Amino acid sequence: MLKIYAALPPRKQIGIIAIILGIVAVFIGNPQDNTTTTVNIKELSMTAGDNVNSVSVQELSNWIIQGKMDYRLVDLRTEADYDEYNIPSSECVSMSSLTKSELMRNEKIILYADDDIVASQAWFILKADGYHSVSILKKGMEAWKNEVVFPSCNCGEHSTAELKQLHDKKAEVAKFFGGALQTDGGTESSVKKNLPKLKAPKKVVLKTNRKKPAREGC
Amino acid sequence: MTAPFYKFGLFNDEVSFIIAFVLGLAFGFVFERGGFGSGRMLAAQFYFTDMRVFKVMFTAIVVAMIGLFYLSWIGFIDLSLIYFGDTFIMPQIVGGLILGVGFVIGGYCPGTSTVAIATGRLDAIVYLLGGAFGIFVFGEVFPYISDFFYSTPMGRITLPELFGIDYGIIVFAVILLAIAGFTAADWGEKFMASKKEGK
Repeated sequence: MLKIYAALPPRKQIGIIAIILGIVAVFIGNPQDNTTTTVNIKELSMTAGDNVNSVSVQELSNWIIQGKMDYRLVDLRTEADYDEYNIPSSECVSMSSLTKSELMRNEKIILYADDDIVASQAWFILKADGYHSVSILKKGMEAWKNEVVFPSCNCGEHSTAELKQLHDKKAEVAKFFGGALQTDGGTESSVKKNLPKLKAPKKVVLKTNRKKPAREGC
Repeated sequence: MTAPFYKFGLFNDEVSFIIAFVLGLAFGFVFERGGFGSGRMLAAQFYFTDMRVFKVMFTAIVVAMIGLFYLSWIGFIDLSLIYFGDTFIMPQIVGGLILGVGFVIGGYCPGTSTVAIATGRLDAIVYLLGGAFGIFVFGEVFPYISDFFYSTPMGRITLPELFGIDYGIIVFAVILLAIAGFTAADWGEKFMASKKEGK
């Protein structure tokens, strides 16, 4: 057998090796099984306290208004909640499918849920799996609703120009996201907050909204 | 430790430039020695008289594919860190056709034209200037064609995902395809050679 092989011209020898490797590949199936991983505890503990791991709702709302697209916003809530209302440009990914999702390890990822706990858990999972730039949205959906879409403002009579500017900005941002400024101050709860209705079937839009040109390649 | 190293921050930008430079030199040298620096050789692909470039390309694809597959299997390479662009099927077909036409008319692709310039070929310099002009025109008309440019998006998709089968099966299929391609290329070369003699 070996003699026959040795007698073949090199190109055929290489061809045979390639076929054997190909057949073995069929049995291997998928090269990577990403369910187990090792965690660099030191690195994680050093970055865990950093502010870079969180984004405030104000920052995020500014980015969306400016059309900044260099991040991926991930909604960790249930699909029903997501369909009801979500932050524009977000995509719904459940916790269990997080590491199997389309998210790339070198992308900037921002996570949010109703509060910080779920988002923090997801943060750890992604960090442990080697995702580099993962942040969570501070106070999650609650803060988004209360501080961006329906912000309250107790600046009253606009005592100073600065306060008035802040007031106007808040109002405009809220309007952009389909909400309104709550000027009642303390009686916040009396205002009925109807979250803006979503117009488009988000699923279709969100998968492909990253219009960025290829950065690498031939 | 897993590759790719740069995205893990194992070396910084400056070092990555040096590595890119060295890799580029090696790549260009192999290209030149493989005959890719000749417009005639590249155009010959399209007339089936000398399929060397086709064979080299396909060999490179198969070697890289087998290498990546097995290196990621043993855990040395993290495939998810390797960047590749999104698929926009229609614009990419049109773009591919335009590139192919330019390829057969000019006798170079963007990479080989720079290799050919290194050996002082004037046609390659003209080709590269034409390419630069094309980039300029594309940039200027981009606002008008951007709708088409982003049409038929499929996201970042790979063949195993598209067909819902294992990577290994694709690897095997591409190897078979390559061997079939090489056999067909050999046959085409012989056929064209006999045709030439016949004349």
